[in-house]
Amino acid sequence: MGMRETILGDGFYRYDPEGGRPRGAADRPHLMVRDGLLQPALEERTASGICLPGESLDDDEMGGPVQFPGGIAMPVQIERVLGFGRSFSFWPLLFGLACCAIEMMALGGSRFDMSRFGMEAMRASPRQADGMIVAGWCSIKMAPRVVRLYEQIPDPKWVLAMGSCAISGNVWDTYNIVQGIDSLIPVDVYVPGCPPRPEALWQGLEMLRERVKQSRHAYDGLRRIPARDVLAAQTAAAEACAPAAGEVKA
Amino acid sequence: MSADPHTDTHGAAVDTHGHDSHGHDAHGNGCAPAGPKRPTTEELIARKAATRQEIEPGADLMTISIGPQHPSTHGVYRIVLDLDGEIIVDGRPEVGNLHRGIEKLCENRTYHQIVPLTDRLDYIASFAMNHGFCEAAEKLMGLEVPDRGRYIRTIAHELARLSNHILWLGIHVMDLGTQTFFCICFRDREYILDLWEMLCGARLTHSFARIGGVAKDLPDGFEYRCRKVMEFLPKRVAEYERIVKNNRIYYKRAKGVGVFTAEDCYAWRVTGPPLRSAGIARDLRKDEPYAAYGEVDFDVAVEYNADVYDRFLVRMKEIRESCKIILQCLDQMPDGDFISKDAGHVLPRKSEVMRQSGAMIQDFNQVFRGPQAPKGEVYRAIEVPKGEMGVYIRSEGGGKPARVRFTTPSFYHGQALPALAKGEMIADMVAIFASIDVVLGDCDR
Amino acid sequence: MSALMDAITAAFGARILETGDFRGDLTISVAPEAWLEVLTFCRDNEATKFDMLDCLLGDHLPERAAAPFALVAQLVSHTYGHRLRVKTALTEGQAVPSVTSLWPSANFDEREAWEMYGIGFTGHPNLIRLLTTEDFEGFPMRKDFPLEGTVGGRVRTDLRGKI
Repeated sequence: MGMRETILGDGFYRYDPEGGRPRGAADRPHLMVRDGLLQPALEERTASGICLPGESLDDDEMGGPVQFPGGIAMPVQIERVLGFGRSFSFWPLLFGLACCAIEMMALGGSRFDMSRFGMEAMRASPRQADGMIVAGWCSIKMAPRVVRLYEQIPDPKWVLAMGSCAISGNVWDTYNIVQGIDSLIPVDVYVPGCPPRPEALWQGLEMLRERVKQSRHAYDGLRRIPARDVLAAQTAAAEACAPAAGEVKA
Repeated sequence: MSADPHTDTHGAAVDTHGHDSHGHDAHGNGCAPAGPKRPTTEELIARKAATRQEIEPGADLMTISIGPQHPSTHGVYRIVLDLDGEIIVDGRPEVGNLHRGIEKLCENRTYHQIVPLTDRLDYIASFAMNHGFCEAAEKLMGLEVPDRGRYIRTIAHELARLSNHILWLGIHVMDLGTQTFFCICFRDREYILDLWEMLCGARLTHSFARIGGVAKDLPDGFEYRCRKVMEFLPKRVAEYERIVKNNRIYYKRAKGVGVFTAEDCYAWRVTGPPLRSAGIARDLRKDEPYAAYGEVDFDVAVEYNADVYDRFLVRMKEIRESCKIILQCLDQMPDGDFISKDAGHVLPRKSEVMRQSGAMIQDFNQVFRGPQAPKGEVYRAIEVPKGEMGVYIRSEGGGKPARVRFTTPSFYHGQALPALAKGEMIADMVAIFASIDVVLGDCDR
Repeated sequence: MSALMDAITAAFGARILETGDFRGDLTISVAPEAWLEVLTFCRDNEATKFDMLDCLLGDHLPERAAAPFALVAQLVSHTYGHRLRVKTALTEGQAVPSVTSLWPSANFDEREAWEMYGIGFTGHPNLIRLLTTEDFEGFPMRKDFPLEGTVGGRVRTDLRGKI
């Protein structure tokens, strides 16, 4: 049958923000220098959300300007103000995969009414979106499309994995399902459930709003998406093998 | 589609309110013969030919790809269309973007474990899918469902149909350009989902059916609330019809578009509302009754023009009929068990498992060994909201099936889209695609 | 019911290898050579008149070593309301004639049977993979194909000009 050893089993690349090269505070705007240590800045947020307690808006104290992928640098205080602004007009990509998309629509519907929170503008084009709600399981066939959609969203961008399927593949531990969307794209917030209720998604979006406000991204530690490179290398290696007998193309 | 060649049948509907020209009033069930207005198959084919544009042979074709990320493909359906100007010449659908291998998974699970998997087939009407599988498994095992279980199943199935049709309506009309109407439909759908939460706690993926019955009895207060909703929904349907049915924009975009005659439907295995809108009173609830459908009085919604508009009318009638069925089931609700007492094939009630040793042994057996089915193969088809859904089970004996195949309506409806849309305008593709009600989880399995 | 079986057995006689009636489901088994002929008869004959192909599916029975694959067609007649299951047993790599000329709806079914079991269909207009990716290897619904782990396919993160 010509079945080859999987490249997929090993080919999965989990995003590990801590697993990359060591970086300074400048690469991590969501971390703050306090008591001489680099510490997470999530818990103690001030009401304004612009500045964290014990945190200075001075570039030098924060370890230099914020570095973005692509080499753009921005002073910390401007980034904070921008993040504050972005958090109140967050436009998700109108993109549903499966069951969770129905609950996502229900959140946009009358009873739950997402538009109360400045998130009603679901954009069908990734070029106009700020982030993506991966609502449903992602098959191998769909994986390149999801990655392309993610890449088409302009920076800065956020991803919310909605439902067990997007988080871990759920019960679909079969030959055609990506076991967790975070093996393909960096995920900011996970909302468990099968499917999550609209309230749960709403809470997830509120958590995402906190991240937007603080300009924290799941791709913070990543200069590029290495999954593509890892998989491209493995695909090339697999294609160097003899072609399979079972493959027929019309 | 400015030159509409057959406004004669429905032309009056635009200007008068509440009455169409079928010869029966707009709020009736519409199942009476339509009299001289009913078009013959030849007329339908002639209409189809008249609405569809001439395709020049050898014309320069433009190929465009729609989907899988497109707001009006209702999921991740993709179709590559060949266009001659604005006219659709051909299309090549691509499905499988949500394929999970659910049938492979079923071969490795016991019958009880398969029930939650079927939820994720057609996730808009999950109970219909549960029900189809349980009917097939009961046929295989020769199980009888107690009366109360059958009536609860009927109510649940009709609730699934209601939520499916209302969701369909909101999205279909949103595809044609309204946003507010979507919110109206979702407002009403939430009342159905409230009833679902009372029944089983879940909003979308119910897993409410069990082999041999249902998971739970009707909760206290369900009947009262259910009656309230069922009495109020027909008024909402009248509201939908006031907004949509006589709306000139909707009428122009839906009338005469996507004509698909009964012969086409048979050839492409298009069932459910699209088939009934072509004048065929085919409804498995009537033709091969299951659950309590043989004991309640309802009409099969039929329309005759086989276009997008009539598919809308059929679904509106079905909502009314569903309300009728649920009210009758509540009236006639028998007492007794809601799940069979057959210890060999059925899960015991959870309340008894920790109290009675027999129930505990039964639970252990059912969970670890599964219901012991005989060797054989069965096929059971039921009428789900989108069409006819069949389940084929081949059993080699034991607690797991050897082969399960879900014959889901969306699989065939998605396949038939190029045949439906051939010769139509590209802008009508959206209306046609919505009218056949495809859900990709159902299609790709 | 018996009128249906009578019509079929009268027409084909010994070429109907086996008939069955389990839980009211009528089943006939035919040789792969008679597949198209029997289904054409079922569709066109006045006594059978199966105007719709409800589904067509492949199956794998590894314990039946001589012919480990099966093809099952589930027919339904809207005229009479009766149903019939037609089965045929196939060996590895054996192809049967496509029935897309009888019922266009068989197109997807046959593509699925091909990609899941490797059952070939001669005369099919477009026999390529349907649900899995184009470069998927192996036939996933066969019993010897592992359930868990992404074995036959590979996750691509680029579209490689395919779209």
